[in-house]
Amino acid sequence: MLPALAVALAAAAAASAANGGFSPQHAHSPNVHHTNTAYWVIFAFTSVIFVVVEGALVTFIWKYRTGGRGRDADGQQVHGNTRLELIWTVIPVVILAAIGTVVFVELPNISGAPASAANKLEITVEGHQFYWLFEYPNGARSINELHVPVGQDVELTVLSADVVHSWWIPQLQGKIQAIPGRTNHTWFRADRAGTYYGQCAELCGLYHDVMKATVVATSQADYKSFVSSQATQTLGKSEFEGVCATCHGMQGQGGYGPALATNSLLTQPASLAAIVRNGFGKMPPVANTWTDAQIKALAQYTKTHVYKGASSSGG
Amino acid sequence: MAVRSEAAYPVTWRSGRIARWLVTVDHKRIGIMYIATALVFFVGGGVMALLMRAQLATPNEHLLTKNSYNEVLTFHGTSMIFLVVVPILAGFGNYLVPLMIGARDMAFPRLNAFSYWTYLLGGIVLYMSWFASGGTAKAGWWSYPPLSENLPFTSPGHGQDYWILSLHLLSISSLVGAINFIVTIHNMRTRGMTWMRMPLFVWAIETYAILLLVALPAISAGITMLLLDRRGYTHFFLPSQGGNQVLYQHVFWFFGHPEVYIMVLPVFGMISEIIPVFSRKPIFGYTAVAFSTIGIAFFSLLVWAHHMFTTGLGTSLDSFFMISSMIIAVPTGVKIFNWVATLWRGNIQFDTPMLFALGFIALFTMGGLSGIFLAAFPVDWQVNDTYYVVAHFHYVLFGGSMMGMFGGLYYWWPKMFGRLLDERLGRWHFWLTFIGFNLTFLPQHMLGLLGMVRRIYTYDHGGLWEAYNMISSIGSGIMAVGMAVFAVNIVRTQFFRLGRRAANDPWLGDTLEWYTTSPPPEHNFDTVPYVTSARPLRDLRRQLQEQRAT
Repeated sequence: MLPALAVALAAAAAASAANGGFSPQHAHSPNVHHTNTAYWVIFAFTSVIFVVVEGALVTFIWKYRTGGRGRDADGQQVHGNTRLELIWTVIPVVILAAIGTVVFVELPNISGAPASAANKLEITVEGHQFYWLFEYPNGARSINELHVPVGQDVELTVLSADVVHSWWIPQLQGKIQAIPGRTNHTWFRADRAGTYYGQCAELCGLYHDVMKATVVATSQADYKSFVSSQATQTLGKSEFEGVCATCHGMQGQGGYGPALATNSLLTQPASLAAIVRNGFGKMPPVANTWTDAQIKALAQYTKTHVYKGASSSGG
Repeated sequence: MAVRSEAAYPVTWRSGRIARWLVTVDHKRIGIMYIATALVFFVGGGVMALLMRAQLATPNEHLLTKNSYNEVLTFHGTSMIFLVVVPILAGFGNYLVPLMIGARDMAFPRLNAFSYWTYLLGGIVLYMSWFASGGTAKAGWWSYPPLSENLPFTSPGHGQDYWILSLHLLSISSLVGAINFIVTIHNMRTRGMTWMRMPLFVWAIETYAILLLVALPAISAGITMLLLDRRGYTHFFLPSQGGNQVLYQHVFWFFGHPEVYIMVLPVFGMISEIIPVFSRKPIFGYTAVAFSTIGIAFFSLLVWAHHMFTTGLGTSLDSFFMISSMIIAVPTGVKIFNWVATLWRGNIQFDTPMLFALGFIALFTMGGLSGIFLAAFPVDWQVNDTYYVVAHFHYVLFGGSMMGMFGGLYYWWPKMFGRLLDERLGRWHFWLTFIGFNLTFLPQHMLGLLGMVRRIYTYDHGGLWEAYNMISSIGSGIMAVGMAVFAVNIVRTQFFRLGRRAANDPWLGDTLEWYTTSPPPEHNFDTVPYVTSARPLRDLRRQLQEQRAT
């Protein structure tokens, strides 16, 4: 009995220590780091409770099994024990108070950006069916790929342009919903250069599963170069690939939505703008919050890279 | 003036084999119809679950379409909650409450029948939604607007309207039933049955009924506003027109969280009946168990926004709801400790009802502990809306509610039908379900921690994602086999009449339902003994022994 329990505990400990077991995401931002501290404290307390309760359950099942006694043989007629019951009411209260205290101690480092945030970077994140739109302080915009400098506090203003989405980059910050008509905030500070992945966590419609985001943390210089020129250069391409291609295919060959490659609409910026801004049929108004520059970038890209000429059938 | 009576106007058509079920106002028949209907819907919801697990077994799978996946996940959640767990508990309540309190029937038998038929109609309406233009509802069982609104790119068509209509019908059914339970329990207890001598299952049904009365109007209001938004050109939840989406979240979860306890409190009651009988002991701390039920019900009305920690309500509200959610763990813990203590120095019989009850304690404990992570709101920001939450609430609602309910079925089956379900098949049913359940849902904790969010159609990660998903899908198959064994057991016992005949009191129970015949006559009891404790049947057995001895 006891060796079996020890083996089970050892196995559980090994499984939980490894990433992919019961351990949370690696932290690459102080808020996730502090969240993980709270997680492990709760894990420690709940593990003890788990072992005590399940251990008592298994022990009693084994020890007080009927073992040939008939159904009419009574167990000991114990009706309760006030002192014992008080003890197992008070102990959970104490444990929960301890957990709550740890949460409140860690909280300032999780929910609010540190005081040093004088030079914080403010970026707007806007959820759309089915992509993320980022706007940088200089007005530059990017789709699905957020570029940030390493080591700087990034404060995100989280909005939605249509339905409820949920913004989450597991290694950088916890979830915050993007709710239409509401402004939410979150923050992170990437501790090393790299690419961090996340995806929309709130069911937002047909393509919920492909609504993914990456955060690219780079040096300050690379970040500057991205927002000053690169973002504009790649805007049209990222708009087509991140927004249109979800339903119309990477080459505009069609998919859930109709084929675009042979549609002369792609060469008419005004009509294209009307459709992407207002939606059409089942198509959401994907560009309802876009700037004219964004529309122009899209029109240019589709005209030169997607449009393959009118089809012979005239479609 | 002539006196109208059944004898003067014999209505023979009512006594046909099927007709007598259609026109019945007998609480026992209505209870059985509730349970049978819920089990049929359980098969439907289970098939949906298996479809989802098949779709998620491997990465980049295309077994279902994206559209049908969203329909299936919405239907699975909605039907398991509203068509299976809540009504099957209403069924147990209907069958057992009058018998346990020594009454002839429910207080309002006709209302009781109305309640059942409204439930059936609500279920049919929900199933009909598959034939609606645009297919059935696909915005998840919370149906958050604007996704559930009638916009061209969200939920056009009538599926969502059917969903709303169905929930309205089911709410009416539950409200009527709740009033009926409360009136019955307050007024129809037999002589000597004070509140503190009442079976713990009846305590649980009383609390379940009160919670239904308090919580259901919230969702009725919420979905009425949603319906008006969809068809009446109002804008309650459309921010572009000045509406407020967060209002829906509050209204929905003000109902949604008590709903969880509505689904689990009566099962706590069943466990509090089964554990003592199969330990041959009284429940450890009757008063604590009874009052912890009320404590849980009270606090369940104050914890709703822990479903909304990622909505951005601010630190003070998040803190309040964290603390209230943690408080609710205390009375829940009391119950678990008291059940375990009931086993102490018992004479534990391992009949199938007890296997399920013990399995319930083991699994529900796990679900309770993962809930503490979710109550700590910064941790919730990480695990909310991931498979961690899916695992958590399945440990509570399947590992808890459904396991307890299976225990209840095995326990009261002989009373309902006069035959015992087969023990060997019962053990197979239990072990397949228990093992399959853990294989299905334990890896989902890890998937959530790896970052797999809920309600995604597919994923493109291999490695551990694929391994855990595959294990989970295999587990769901094992559970399905377990359910098939249960179906065979029912068919074998009931339709082939191979089940052992049950006497009045096959388990040597404690409560009044075992005093009457199995199955009971239409009027339940010829006489009811005066109740002097919470265990009237044991008192009677002891009196008989003493009489024999002298």
